Amino acid sequence: MRFVIIGAGRVGLRTARVLREEGHDVTIIEADANKAERARTDDFEVIEGDGAREEILEQADLESADALGALTGDLNVNFAACMVGKHYDCRTVLRIDEDYREDIYRKFASDVDEVVYPERLGAIGAKNALLGGNIRAIADIAQNLQVVELTITEESPVKGYSISELSLPANARILAFGKKDEPMGIPLPDDSLAVGDRVAVLADFAVLEDVRQILVGDASRGAAEAVKGGT
Amino acid sequence: MVTAYVMVKANTGEADRLKTEIMDLDGVVDAHIVAGDVDIIAKLDVDSTADVKAIAADGIQNVEGVEDTQTYIAMD
Repeated sequence: MRFVIIGAGRVGLRTARVLREEGHDVTIIEADANKAERARTDDFEVIEGDGAREEILEQADLESADALGALTGDLNVNFAACMVGKHYDCRTVLRIDEDYREDIYRKFASDVDEVVYPERLGAIGAKNALLGGNIRAIADIAQNLQVVELTITEESPVKGYSISELSLPANARILAFGKKDEPMGIPLPDDSLAVGDRVAVLADFAVLEDVRQILVGDASRGAAEAVKGGT
Repeated sequence: MVTAYVMVKANTGEADRLKTEIMDLDGVVDAHIVAGDVDIIAKLDVDSTADVKAIAADGIQNVEGVEDTQTYIAMD
């Protein structure tokens, strides 16, 4: 596929690299001469100019582009680029600068197909690192709702239980289950929880710690550290 | 007659509620939710510049979810 990325900063350039690694064609538009040069050194096709202006965007041949990513730090530029992109029938993705704006753009910006807030994704990564080895955040569904994957440990209070015997807080649901080293699947009532098995749970943030204690156990964080320390 | 435009920066995603509450203020004749680094632009039509200050500072600024405002008085 062919993509036009507006902005060669930390978000735009990284996105362009990932797309190129997956075999896609990428054209970058960047207003800052130094950033444009850096992207050129990285072997990208770069158009230097203001991504909010139609005549600059036209140079990127939007007619043949599948999607446009407006990924600069400037919301005005991003929105204008999406409006032009939509006019050329591109799928449009807009980067926002503050999280409260996510709902506003989803609701009102009809020229924008998808909204991204990179800091949210960064926060998920940081949270995974902080929580340690036996719990991994997979996705934020809403501000207070997330999907996490937990791994059953030696200390798990529910080790040896079956899925049907498992009692989670009201604001939590089991979504998927996978035996150790096997892919995740639909959980069956008779599946038994052994060490190394993984459970994907949709949980309200308020009960996440309870879910962790039930499935992973209290000492898990210390144990995970000890294992890492020993190797 | 004085016309003024007030740029409103919010700190909440409830743009509809903000717009409705701002539109309900006396002197506000129009308001739009906008794209960009402000979230709402309101238009005021009032008798004096003192009214502009009262609506922007006491009215709009006091709406829950309004972070900041910037006011421009029309000269033409």
